[in-house]
Amino acid sequence: MSAIVFYIATVVNYFFIYNILAWGLNIQFGYAGILDFTYITFMAVGAYVAGVTSLGRQQPGTGVTYILGWHLPFPLPLLLGGLAAALLGLLVGLLAINRLRSDYLAIVTLSVGIIIYSLVGNLTGLFDGFDGLVGVPEPLNGQVHLGVNTYTIFYMAVTGVVMVILWFFAQRLRSSALGRTMRAIREDVDVAESFGKNTFRIRLVAMVIGCFYAGIGGALLIGFVGAFSPGGWSTLETFIIWAVMLIGGRGNNWGSVLGSFLVIALLSEATRFLPAIPNNAFLEPALRNIVIGAGLIVVLRFRPQGILPERKAQFSEVRAARAGPGEPHAG
Amino acid sequence: MQADPPILEVDGAVRHFGGLRAVDGCSFTLQRGMLAALIGPNGAGKTTLVNLVAGALSLHGGRIRFLGRDISGWAPHRIASLGLIRTFQISREWARLTVLENLLVAAPDQRGENLWNALMRPGVSRAEERRLVAEALDTLDTFGLYAMRNEYAVTLSGGQKRLLELARAVMGRPTLLLLDEPMAGVNPALTDQLAQHIETLRQGGISFLLVEHNLEFVERSCDYVVVMALGRTLATGLMSDLRQNPEVVSAYLGGESVERAAG
Amino acid sequence: MTVFWLSVGFGFVTASVLALASVGLSLQFGVTNYVNFAYGAFLTLGAYFAWTVLTGGHLPLWLAILIGSLGVGVVGVVSDRVVFRSFTRSGFPLFYLLIVSFGLSLILGNVVQGVWGPSPQFFAVVSQYPLHIGPFLLTPAQLVIIGVAILTMVGVHLLLTRTRLGKAMRAMSDNPALAQVSGIDINRVTTWAWFISGTLAGLAGIGLAISTASFEPAFGENFLFIIFAAVIVGGIGQPYGAMLGAFVIGMVTEVSAAIIDPAYSTDLAFVVLIVMLLLRPQGLIPARGKA
Repeated sequence: MSAIVFYIATVVNYFFIYNILAWGLNIQFGYAGILDFTYITFMAVGAYVAGVTSLGRQQPGTGVTYILGWHLPFPLPLLLGGLAAALLGLLVGLLAINRLRSDYLAIVTLSVGIIIYSLVGNLTGLFDGFDGLVGVPEPLNGQVHLGVNTYTIFYMAVTGVVMVILWFFAQRLRSSALGRTMRAIREDVDVAESFGKNTFRIRLVAMVIGCFYAGIGGALLIGFVGAFSPGGWSTLETFIIWAVMLIGGRGNNWGSVLGSFLVIALLSEATRFLPAIPNNAFLEPALRNIVIGAGLIVVLRFRPQGILPERKAQFSEVRAARAGPGEPHAG
Repeated sequence: MQADPPILEVDGAVRHFGGLRAVDGCSFTLQRGMLAALIGPNGAGKTTLVNLVAGALSLHGGRIRFLGRDISGWAPHRIASLGLIRTFQISREWARLTVLENLLVAAPDQRGENLWNALMRPGVSRAEERRLVAEALDTLDTFGLYAMRNEYAVTLSGGQKRLLELARAVMGRPTLLLLDEPMAGVNPALTDQLAQHIETLRQGGISFLLVEHNLEFVERSCDYVVVMALGRTLATGLMSDLRQNPEVVSAYLGGESVERAAG
Repeated sequence: MTVFWLSVGFGFVTASVLALASVGLSLQFGVTNYVNFAYGAFLTLGAYFAWTVLTGGHLPLWLAILIGSLGVGVVGVVSDRVVFRSFTRSGFPLFYLLIVSFGLSLILGNVVQGVWGPSPQFFAVVSQYPLHIGPFLLTPAQLVIIGVAILTMVGVHLLLTRTRLGKAMRAMSDNPALAQVSGIDINRVTTWAWFISGTLAGLAGIGLAISTASFEPAFGENFLFIIFAAVIVGGIGQPYGAMLGAFVIGMVTEVSAAIIDPAYSTDLAFVVLIVMLLLRPQGLIPARGKA
C-alpha cells in the first residue's frame, strides 16, 4: 500500500468528517438562523462519549482515568456520542434560545463552551483532564483485523456511509415543510410567531439535530485518530467549521462540501508553499489562522451568501382550472 | 342580542413603557363579521394595542378575549393558532424565501412540520403539500402575484409587498384579521385593489380590525369604528356619527388632516 | 474568617480589572449595538504592548502602561474603521458583525502569537511585600490597580455626565433613532467610543497581567467570558451596570475561590451568569430597549 494512497485516504476521512460537522452547523445556522459559537463543544462531547463507551474499563497504572469504559462494539459508541451531544444541545438550547437578542445566544454558547472545557480539563476522572483519552479502539477492527493502511481505507468507507445517511436526512429536512418553516424563522422570528409557529420549539429542534451531527462527527474523529484531548478543541476549531459552512455557502449543503474541501486543502497543502522561517515554528499555524480569519471576513463582506448560494425551492405546480395567469396588477 | 359571542373584546387594556402609558385603559367590543377600524391621532397607542391583542406585547392590566376565550398573556403563536392573524405596519415578508414559499409557510397545522414526518414519512405530507401549493397559487393569482411566485420576496416592489402581506395573512386561515395600516404609503389604484380584496374576504366570513389613517376608506367601507386617543377609547360607532362627535372632532379630525396623503 | 477577608481584598482587585474591561465593552456596545468578540484580544494586546515598551524600551512602568493602553485604543479605532464600519455602512444585519468580530479575535490572537510567540511572559514588576490594609493583604501593585480603576470610573462618570461626547454616547445608547436626527455626529462618537473602549481594554489587560503570575497570547480571550458575565449581570450597554456587575462577579470569583477548589471559581461566575439570564436577563440596571 503506497504512501500516497494512505495519505489520500487520511485526507478523505477528514474531508468526510468535516462535511458532517459543516452540515450540522448548517442546520443550526443556515436553516434556522441559530448562532452557535460553541459548536465544537458538541463535537467534543460526541468524541468523548464515543471514546469512553468503546474503551474498556480504565486500567490502574496507565495514568489514564475516565468514566464508563463499557467496551461497546461499533456502532453503539457512535450513536451514543451523537445522542450525548444532542442532549447537551437540548440543555443549552433550553437555556439560550428564547426571545432575547442573538448576541445573548452567542455569548451564552461561548460561555458554555469555555465552562465545559474547564470542567473537562479539571475533572480528571471524567475524561482524563487535559491529557485526554488515548488508545481508543478502532471501530470494527476487532472483527476485520486490518493493517494500518488498509484500515484507513476501510474507515473511509465507514465514514462515507455515515456521511451519506446524514446527507440524506439533511436534504430531506431542508425540503420538508419543517425546513421551510425553519428558514422563515431565520428570516423573521416575530412574523413566524404571528403565524402560529412555535418558534422556540422549532429552533430547539434545529439546535438538537445540529448537535447530533456534531456528536457523530466527533465520534468518527476519535475512532479515526484514537485519541482526543482539549487541545484539539478550541475556539479556532469552531471558527474553522463556521468558515467552512459560510464560505462554501450557507443554507446549501453542497456549499458545505465545497467549503470543507477548500479548507481541508488549505490546511493540508498551504503549508507547503510557505517558506520555512527559522526559529518560528509557531509562525506557520499563526499565519494560516490569520489567513482563514481574514479570508472569512472578506468573503462575508463581498459575497455573504458564500460561493454556492442557497438554491430556490422547486415546486411541481398543480393548479385549479383558471382563466389564465392574472394580469399584472401591482405597481 | 347577538347569538354568537363577540369575536374580540378588549377590556381595560393597559400597557406602559417606563413612565409612558401607551395604552391606558382601552376597551371595545367587535362582533363577528365586522369590518372595523381603529383610528386616532399619532401616538394614540393604536399599534401598541394591536401588539397587545396579538400577544407581541404583554398586558400590564385589563383583559382581552377572542371568540369568548381569555387570551390575556398568551404567546403570539398560540393566539395565532386560534385564528387571529395580524400584519405589520411595514411589510415584513420573509426576504429570502420565494413568494410562493411565503404563503406556504403561513398555512397552519402542517403535518410536514412535524419532525418525524419530515424526516421519516415524507409521503404523509406530500398530498398535503400539493393541496397547499394549489391553494397558494390560487391565492397568488387572486392577488395578482402569480407571475412573481418563484422570485425571492425581497425583490418585490413596495406595492407588491403590501399585496403579499395580505395574501400571506389569508393563507393563515384567519377568523379575525388585524391589519396595521394596510394602505400606508400605497398609491390610490392599489388602495382600491386592497379595499376590494378586503371586502371580498369579509364576504367570505373573515372579520377585520384595521388600523387606518385613510378616513375616506374607513367611512366608505367600515361598519364600526373605534377612536383612540391618549391610550384610551374615545368613542365608538359609525364614522358618519363620529364626525358629529365634538370630542372626536377636536382630538383627531379637527386639528389634523382629514385624510393622510396616499402614496 | 481572615481567609474570607483576604479573598474580599482580592475580590477588589479582580473587580477593578473587570470594571475597567466591562465599562469599556459596555460603552462600545451602547454606541454600536453589537458585541465585540475580539475584545478579549484587546486585553491581550494591551499587556503585550506595555510589556514590550517596558522590556524593550526600558521606559518607566507608568509610561509603558500609558502607551500600552492608548495603543489598544488605536487598535480599536482601526478595527472599527477598517473592518466593522464597512459592514455597518452597507446595512449588514447584526449577526454578521458578531461573526466578523469572532474572526478579528482569531486574527489578533494569532498576530500576538506570531509576533511574540506562544510562551508565557512575565511582568518584571519588582517583587513586593504585601501590605496590611485593614483586614486585607495587598501588594502595592494591586493597590495601584484598584486606585487606577477607581480613578478611571470617576473619569468615565465625568465623561458621561459633563462632556458633550459623553452625553452623545448616552443618547446613542438610549435612543439611536433620536440621536441620529438630533444632529449628533455618529461617526465621530463611534470613533471615540472605540478609542475609549480599546484604551480601557488595554488598561484592564495590563492590570490583569500584572496581578496574575504570567500572561500568554490567549489570556485575554480566556478572560472574556468573565467580562461577559459582569456586563450581563450589570445590564448590557449600561456602564454603571457594568461597574456593579464587575463588583459582583469579582467578589464571587475571589470569595468562592477561598471556599471551593479555585479551578471552579470561574465556573461559579458562569452559574451566576446563567441564573441572571434566567431570572433577570436585562441585568441589574436595565438599558431601555436593549434586552
